[in-house]
Amino acid sequence: MTTTENPRSRRTDILEDRPVNLDGFVEEWPEKGLVAMESDFDPQPSVRVEAGKIVELDGRARADFDFMDTFIADHAIDVETAEEVNAIPSVEIARALVDPGASRDELTRIGRGLTPAKILDVVKLMNVVEIMMAMQKMRSRRTPANQAHSTSAKDNPIQVAADAAEGALRGFAELETTLGVVRYAPLVAIALQVGGQVGRGGVLTQCALEEATELELGMRGITAYAETISVYGTESVFVDGDDTPWSKAFLASAYASRGIKMRFTSGTGSEVQMGNAEGRSMLYLEIRCILMAKGAGVQGLQNGSISCIGVPGAVPGGIRAVAAENLIASWMDLECASGNDQSFSHSAMRRTARLLPQMLPGTDFVCSGYSAVPNPDNMFAGSNLDVEDYDDWNTIQRDLQVDGGLRHVREPEILQAREKAARALQAVFAELDLPRITDEEVEAAVYAHGSEDYPERDVLEDLKGAQSVMDRGVTGLDLVKALERSGFHDVAENLLTVLRQRVSGDLLQTAAILTDEFVPLSAINDANDYGGPGSGYRLQGERWEQLKKLRHVTSAENPETEVS
Amino acid sequence: MRVSAPATGSGPDLGPADYPLSVNRQDLLRTPTGKPITALTMNAVVAGEITAEDLRIAPETLQLQATLAESVHRRQLAANFRRAAELTAVPDAEVLAMYSALRPRASSKAQLLGIAENLESKYQATVCGALVREAAEVYERRDLLARDEED
Repeated sequence: MTTTENPRSRRTDILEDRPVNLDGFVEEWPEKGLVAMESDFDPQPSVRVEAGKIVELDGRARADFDFMDTFIADHAIDVETAEEVNAIPSVEIARALVDPGASRDELTRIGRGLTPAKILDVVKLMNVVEIMMAMQKMRSRRTPANQAHSTSAKDNPIQVAADAAEGALRGFAELETTLGVVRYAPLVAIALQVGGQVGRGGVLTQCALEEATELELGMRGITAYAETISVYGTESVFVDGDDTPWSKAFLASAYASRGIKMRFTSGTGSEVQMGNAEGRSMLYLEIRCILMAKGAGVQGLQNGSISCIGVPGAVPGGIRAVAAENLIASWMDLECASGNDQSFSHSAMRRTARLLPQMLPGTDFVCSGYSAVPNPDNMFAGSNLDVEDYDDWNTIQRDLQVDGGLRHVREPEILQAREKAARALQAVFAELDLPRITDEEVEAAVYAHGSEDYPERDVLEDLKGAQSVMDRGVTGLDLVKALERSGFHDVAENLLTVLRQRVSGDLLQTAAILTDEFVPLSAINDANDYGGPGSGYRLQGERWEQLKKLRHVTSAENPETEVS
Repeated sequence: MRVSAPATGSGPDLGPADYPLSVNRQDLLRTPTGKPITALTMNAVVAGEITAEDLRIAPETLQLQATLAESVHRRQLAANFRRAAELTAVPDAEVLAMYSALRPRASSKAQLLGIAENLESKYQATVCGALVREAAEVYERRDLLARDEED
């Protein structure tokens, strides 16, 4: 069929070519759960307690509970307060969340008794600025922090070590890696652990793998924490993920029993993406995940849609819902590693807007994966931010006087850390009789940007080496010894100090990180005490002086020169 | 030798001011092998006096952290630490096997009850045992037990 084509205006042409129009957008479809947080198909809040047990939850009688209802009713919700707090009008709770005069403690007390539908009813009343106001008060740790991905498209351990060192130096409190070829994991996890401790002492590392393997690396002390413990909001999707709330709760205890920090992962959109949202909104299902995590007694949650960000990102109000899910995790008194960790948009403007609801109020980890490698090397399928955004990030911190956890570092320091990380890894590989790292590779690491800038590795030899790490039972302690024997005394000492933290269990408490003096900072000794203007975390003093520095800042005394 | 886990959170009355224990209460921290945390030095590592076993958490320490978590109203976190205290006694491979057995449709009810029984009698892990029993019940109700012909 032919139609007469109207000529298009030049403006339309220009708009058509804007990157934002490469993004995908869809209409809502509430019956299938393709709706952010406002759906007629979500249950109405209700709760009834009999003989110390919840017998009705959000309109469902106990006999009809699925396993999520059962777990939430029996483990997450405070039975003693449930009827009382659920009777508080939602608008009162929503206003208290925003009101600096209402304390975080009082709100967590209320939160402990609420049902999923009631929590949804409360946050539905809040616009995105109110959600940010509430996040500022409700995040558990007073000092915000950030987390990075350090991966390689070629699983090149030298690249991972050098980028980990640079990332640590720039300020990330946690570093995460994963693999293209899973069998590479032991070598890459070692590289991350060694490189991270070169940049600054006290950085925590993890390697995202299938649950059992991830736990095994953690038990050996090759990684310091874990995060890829996915939970889902419907029973059917949970089972498709080959787990239940009980298996995940057991896993949480298994990690803690080895002194290893751990958080769960969930996010809006995962259920509809996996094809069984049971007709509920994305946020309602995410609230069930948050309460499941709470009930399991895990200290924290990575949420904010995570790898499913394209789903809420495509529907109206989706990014508001993502901000709301982070807020709810914090309100439920969990550490929140708040997303911003997946390729999200072709539009730089939209990428930034998606970030601000976490960056401005501050969260426990603003990104749960800022790509500390170029995005093509990001084996988590790319992040919302990558190495090419470092200067933009630092400038936004300086413009708005907010602490996003990073800082500008001068090139000589960066090159020195990259070289030291590569040399330390070279020495560790030699000590452990792993495939050789050449001087040429070390030199490449100093000046490289991405994996294509490194000499090719012999992959088969590396995989044999990786297998031997597992077969020989190499542990974190072996890495300490190898570093010490080869003269990297300070790196060895840093790693030993991180490993020693397992014995104390301090990193198991909510939102714990290590300062560069190795002092654990958690929601106990650094509890968020925000109570309005002039209180809570303020970017000032020495830290603010650090963040005033950028790559190019003109000297006030001599306009011809730059300070940095 | 492992020091056995106390059944409940007995011990010093800890509060938020004691945290971090690694800074404020080193006197309370020992390795599962009974060494004080201050013994975990580089000199000791070089001298070969430290093994990977020394870099694990002791059940008593998990009980201390549970007390701390309770002092800041985190009852579920505390309960997790108490389950963890029990699991310190269970070898790595067995922990991994138990986790696998708890996956949906991986075990019959009898198998799950066997795991609970083993936790309770062999390791005195009563809180963990209760969690596994609870799972067995829910799995039965929600049709998540193994679908084999043996039962």
